[in-house]
Formats: sequence, structure tokens, C-alpha cells
Amino acid sequence: MQSAPLPETLAELAGLNPDSTPVMIVMSLIGAALIGSLMMTNTALAGPWAKRKITAAFTDRIAVDRIGPFGLLIIAADSVRLLSKELIIPDGVDRPAWDLAPLLIASSALLGFAVIPMGSGLHLADPEVGLAYVFATASIASVGLVMAGYASNNKYSFLGGLRAVAQNVAYEIPLILTGASVVIFAGSLQMSEIVAAQSQTLVGPIPSWYAFVNPFAFVLFMIANLAEVGRNPFDIPEAPTEIVAGYQTEYSSVYFVLIYLGEFIHIFLGGAIIATIFLGGPAGPGPAALGIVWFLIKIWGVFLFTQWARSAVPRVRIDQLIEIGWKGMLVLSLANLLLTAVIVGVVA
Amino acid sequence: MSLEKPSTPTDIGVTEDGIDYDALAELLGGHVLDREQHINAEGFVIRPDEVQQVLSTLKEEAGFDHCACVTAQEYDDRYESIYHLRKYDDPTQELSVVVPSPKDDPHNESAARVYDTASWHEREAYDLVGIDYDDHPDLRRILLPETWQGHPLSQDFNQDQPQIVTLRENANPLQEDKRSEDDPDTMFVNIGPHHPATHGVLHVKTVLDGEQVADVDPDIGYLHRCEEQMCEHGTYRHQIMPYPDRWDYSGAGIINEWAYARAAEDLADIEVPEYAQIIRTMSAELCRITGHMLALGTFALDVFGDFTAIFQYAFRDREVVQNILEDLTGQRLMFNYLRLGGVAWDLPEPREEFFEKVRDFLDDLPYKLEEYHDLITGNEIFQMRCVDTGNLSPETVKAYGATGPVARGSGVDYDLRRDDPYGYYDELDWNVVTESGCDNFSRVLVRMREVEESARIIEQCIDLLEQWPEDDREIQANVPRTLRPDPDEEIYRAVEGAKGELGIYIRSDGTDKPARFKIRSPCFSNLQTLPEMVQGEYIPDMVASLGSLDIILGEVDR
Repeated sequence: MQSAPLPETLAELAGLNPDSTPVMIVMSLIGAALIGSLMMTNTALAGPWAKRKITAAFTDRIAVDRIGPFGLLIIAADSVRLLSKELIIPDGVDRPAWDLAPLLIASSALLGFAVIPMGSGLHLADPEVGLAYVFATASIASVGLVMAGYASNNKYSFLGGLRAVAQNVAYEIPLILTGASVVIFAGSLQMSEIVAAQSQTLVGPIPSWYAFVNPFAFVLFMIANLAEVGRNPFDIPEAPTEIVAGYQTEYSSVYFVLIYLGEFIHIFLGGAIIATIFLGGPAGPGPAALGIVWFLIKIWGVFLFTQWARSAVPRVRIDQLIEIGWKGMLVLSLANLLLTAVIVGVVA
Repeated sequence: MSLEKPSTPTDIGVTEDGIDYDALAELLGGHVLDREQHINAEGFVIRPDEVQQVLSTLKEEAGFDHCACVTAQEYDDRYESIYHLRKYDDPTQELSVVVPSPKDDPHNESAARVYDTASWHEREAYDLVGIDYDDHPDLRRILLPETWQGHPLSQDFNQDQPQIVTLRENANPLQEDKRSEDDPDTMFVNIGPHHPATHGVLHVKTVLDGEQVADVDPDIGYLHRCEEQMCEHGTYRHQIMPYPDRWDYSGAGIINEWAYARAAEDLADIEVPEYAQIIRTMSAELCRITGHMLALGTFALDVFGDFTAIFQYAFRDREVVQNILEDLTGQRLMFNYLRLGGVAWDLPEPREEFFEKVRDFLDDLPYKLEEYHDLITGNEIFQMRCVDTGNLSPETVKAYGATGPVARGSGVDYDLRRDDPYGYYDELDWNVVTESGCDNFSRVLVRMREVEESARIIEQCIDLLEQWPEDDREIQANVPRTLRPDPDEEIYRAVEGAKGELGIYIRSDGTDKPARFKIRSPCFSNLQTLPEMVQGEYIPDMVASLGSLDIILGEVDR
């Protein structure tokens, strides 16, 4: 499974010396552009098209089917439409913060993909603190949400920003604690190590993915992840019927696109984390070169799950959300962590 | 707030065959200056400064606990407010309390301290007719903007003078960051007039304490279309009937038409053929199903948060009913199907096809309702959100004159289809649905179970219509081309709309148009309970409570 990081592969392909720093900087940038483009392509597919189709399937509708095969060209049409809209800047917004927030929301999630091993050699970097790094970058988005909510000079945005903070604080701790239980299993924070640790088989044909080894942690993580990406039943920071659109109420045109994009990348990043630490990363039947295909299937699976929840599950109330987070999830994830530590300590 | 004492209402004036007004007049003694004969009840004329005393006597000692409506009007020599009182236990026991006030300075005592519901009704009377109510807790305009000049339903109002109210002139709610005066930590938020959860153009002035609601004040009137005045300008026979479709536009149009038809037919003494009554009953129940499906879908929208599965499912199934109604009436929303004395036309040919279509729908309905129960009422998160939120006690229901599923969700067993029978309802086998939870969940459950009952009614109607002898299919009674009811007749009649008691008051003046046409909208009264329901609740619960009231702003503002 282990393969050289993407920049080195690229340098070798170009026939350049992988030991030279300038070459590696250029190759890393090219690699980052590749990975970024791949994820953006997925987002472009998901945002204007797949999300509509999936929701439509859940709700007995047809959705976009007028432009192009299966309505796929709606992606281009929507891009033009969204980009050509007027950017309305309300009076009294806190300018630098208000402008930076969408950028921060969109870019922070993208950073996380740098350490995700996607298979087929698509792995930009493999630091020893991989998992900690992913969680850290994913959390930067919260700062963006607060900035957007606070700088918008709108009471709905303000409420949305506050809700976002309350929610993220309440759910990131269980998220990270559950992630830590996987680290105890794998014995490493390094993403490639975590993936390698799942490459054995558990019983019969079932692989030793941590979703099968510790399904309890997997369920906990899936739920906390729903809250982290803000989808039903935890879409409280946006809650259209309550606070209009929360922190993004005042954003239009390109800024809105950036926030929307950020949300989708965030969902995919959540999917990537889940795929990596619970579903064996790029592992799957067939040659290792197919890794990226399996990996994409897994993150789309997680995306499908979030859309399913969005279509079918009611939204909880803010006080219930906090209660579930602090009184339920936190306790369960702590218990999970302790139990895992004890079991691993006794067995190993 | 009211002068209410914990006493059990006695049965003064209740006899075997209706109400004995002499006994009631005796109870009130010298307060009754004169007695008028209205078609639905007697009207006791009382002094304008004795309103509270008379009404609280009637409420506490004679058991008139339901102030259905307050009608105000201007005569050539006086102003008049009529309080239409009924009983929740038996709405056929009615009494009108007529309060005349002088032409030059119209004012009388407010009834808002006796019946909470009178507060908004009197504000409307002040707004549109121009009567001042003394001792009213909050006498402001309600439908028209604060800066409006004159009172449109008064005789000296200049109808031709356009009035344009600019945002600058009207209070601009964005100008200052209003805070509640007694608590500087609270925040004022305008929810609406344009907001995803207000189901139309409703403006809820909300004071928030963190995430909790400290105070709400619904501001209505954005959709005021002068419906009452338009009806006063139309002839009884044909010109009024299209308007009711535009009040409750949730699909319940035929029930609204029936409200007008019932009042006008009783006023002009028109007998409707039995066959037409069955068609009316069937179509009204079809309309009730569309109305409740919409209520269910939008409530799910409020709680689920997006146009999700349940909203679309409700609309998918509502579509089937709309297709049936389209076959029957030729219209999908503005039916204009009822006529005074009957209906516009018979069932569509071939009749078998129509019956089959309705039966298919009725056969599928149980499975669909089961699906809803799986998705909505069986969902734990939904229960977490709806059980025990938006509490509305039966006492509050009665004080505010709330009716329909809102009242029945609080255990108030009040349904005009059974209690004040009209149409063909008393010949059929069906039940009035009540739930005792008093919360958002109960109100949703009542609507879902009422859909089942409506289906039962429709099924029986279909059976009757199918077996009806072919030569006896009379859809229209003989009604003169121009209808001129006797002058100075007054009538208040109500039907059970999808949202509750939809009443019409008509006063005739001998011409072919009504002299006064007053609409008693169930949504108007139901919306008044919102502040009581959401005090101290969280914002999401306020949104859910508003959704569970199932208001249609077209009917609130008229």
C-alpha cells in the first residue's frame, strides 16, 4: 500500500532531482494543485448537480434534467449564474473580516486534504502528526463562521455565528476523542500508518477496518461528523426556518459561492477522514492502482449519508443539541476512548 | 387579566328547544335597553358604558364562554358594535350583544378585559370603522399602517383619495436597535414580514433573551385586501361567491364558499336540495384534506428545516386531491363551485370514472398516512421537538376564541360540523377528533387524524351519490335571479373551516348587496394565542408553534 508522496512521484516523472529543495517546492505546489482540483471537481459535481439529484430522489422529484445529459451542464450554467450576480455589501459590515471569512471557510477545509492518502499515489504529504493536522485544519472553519456571523452586522447572522461556535465546541471534542481511540489501535497519528494498520483481514473476507473493529466508535464519529459539517439533524447554525440562513445571510454572489463551496469541501473532508480512519482509506478489491476510485466511492458514500439525514431527519433544538453533545456524546466518546485504551493495553 | 372567577357556568336560559332569551334578559335586568331579532339569535341592546359588566355576567352566569366575533358598523344615526357570543359546549346557543354608540363621538367600553379575544377584534373595529374602545389594553391600528388617515368602513371616508404609505413615513423597524426597556440584555429581532417561517407576510416583532423568546407581538395587515368591502360591493347572487376562495387559499376554498352560502341562504331563506348538500359535503371534505396536507407539509418544513421528504410527500398526495377537485370544479384553487341554493354543476361525466378516482385515493390514503406516521410522529427527534412545546391550555383557547384543530389539540371538543350541523354532516357516521396534549404534537396529530375522518365522510358521500336515483339529481334550488333579502335582517352564521370557525355576518338593507359583510376568520383568532404559547420558549419552538397554528395570512388579513 505504501507509496511515495505525490511530489516525489511527480519529480521522478519530470526527471528532476527529488532531493533538491526548489524542485520539491515546485512539485509540491503542482501536487497541491492536482489534489485541490480533484476535490473542487467533486464539489462542483456535488453542489449544483448531485445534491439536487439526491434530494430529488429522496423526495419523489426529478430535479435538473433540461441542460445536457442528466442535466449535468447545470454545473456550468450555475457557475455562470452565481458568478454574474451582484455582490451586495450591506451597510456597516466589518470589512476585512467580512471579506476574509468566506475565503477562510473555503480554504481551511481544502488544507486538510494535504495529508489524506487517497490511493493510487495521490498523497501529498505524510507527516507524523497527520490526524492531528487534519482535525486542526478542519476546525479553522469555525473561526470563519464566527467572523462571518459577527462581521455581517445582522442579528440573524450573529445568532448563527454564536450557534456555530456552540455547536462546534460541543461536537469537536467527541469527534477528536473518538478519533483518538483509532490512534490507540493504530499506534500512530500518521495517516499512512493508520491505513496500513487496517490492511489485515478481521474474520473471513471482512477487512480489519476500524468501522468493523469498533463499530461503536464509527457510529459516534459519524454522528459527531454530521454536527461538524452542520447537516440535519444538526444544521442549527443555518436553520433556514429559524434564523434565515445564519452566518451566511448577508453573503451574495462570489462570497456566497465560497461559503457554499467551503461547506461541501468540509463534508468531503469529513468523508475523507471517515474513509481513512474507519474504512481503510483507499483499500478495496482489485489492483492498488484503483485506490482513488475506492476512496472516492467511500467519501461519496458519506456524502450520500449526510444528504439522507438532511432529507429525512428533523432538526434538533439548540439546547437539545448542546445537551446531546455535552451530556451524551462526550461521555460516550470518553468511555470509548478509555475502553479502547484498556483493551489495547491488555491485549497488546 | 379578565374578571373571571372560578365558577361553573349555570344554565340560565337553556331550554329543551333552544335558548330562552326572556330568562337571559331577566338575568341582565335593567341593562337590556332593547331587544332586536337577528336571524341567528336575539340581540340585546345595552349601554356603551356597561359592556364589561354585561359581558362578564353573561360569561360567568350564563356560560357564554366564546366570543366568536366583534362586528362594528356605522349607521346613518349611530355606530354599533355587536359581540357575537356562543358557548363552546353548544354553539347553537347564541346571543348578540349590540352596543350602539353616538355618531359624533363613537366610543364604548372595551370587552377585552372579559374576553381576551376581543382585543384584536376591537382593534380591527377601531381601525376600519373608527369606534374608540375605552379601557382597551392596546388600542392601535391592526390591519392598516399607523399613519393611515381615516377609517375606511366609515361613511365619511373618502374612498377615492389614494393613500400611499412610504417606508419613511411608516415606522422603519430597522432604524434603531430596539431593546426591551426593562432588560438591557435582550435583543429585538424582526421576524418577517419576509422570513422563511412566517408562511406568508407576517411580521412578528420579537424580543429575544439569548435564544429564548422574551416577548412577541404579531404585526398583521400586510395582506389586507379589503375583502369585506369588496363583498359589500358585490351582489348576493353571483358576485360575492368568488371572493371566499381568496381568503383561506390553502386549498380549502369550497369550505369558505360554504360559509358565505350558509349565511346568505339562511338570510334569504333558500332551501338547498339534498343531492347538492351531499356534493357540498364531499367537496368540502376534499378541501379540508388539501388544507391539512398543506398544514402538515409546512409544519414539517418548519421542524425539519428544508423542503425535505415529508413536505414533498404531503404535496404529492395533496396533488391527487387537487386533481379530483379539478375534475369536479374545473379549478385547482379558486373553485367558485358553490352557488346560493346549490352547486355550479353536477359530478363530471362519466361518473364511474370520477367515483373510481376518488375511491383510489381513499384506498391509498391509509398507507400514505402510515408513511407520515413513520416519518413524522414516530420520529424520536420530532417528538423531542414537538411534545410539550407550544403549550396552549384549554382556558387560553377559550379566552382567545381559538377554534378548529388548534382548539381540538387542546382537548376543547368544538366542531361546528357536529355541534351546529349544516350540510349533510349529521346524517353521516364520523367522529370529532380531539387530543389532550395541548402542545404542537397534539395539533399535528389532530390534523392527521382529521384527514382520516374526512376520508370516511367522503367515502359515505360517494356511496350515497352513486346510489342516488338518476331522475332526482337536483343540484340547484330555485333562486331568484336578483336576490333582495328583506331590509334590516342580520345574521351571523359559521361553518367549520379547515382552520376553525369561519363565520360570516351579513346585514341586509333591502338592496341586492349587503350593507355590512363581516368575516370572522379562524386564523385571526388563532394567531392571537401565539404570544401566550411562546413566552419563554426557544426560537425554534416559536417557529414550530407558529407552524402548528396553521395560519393563512390571506385569511388573517382578509
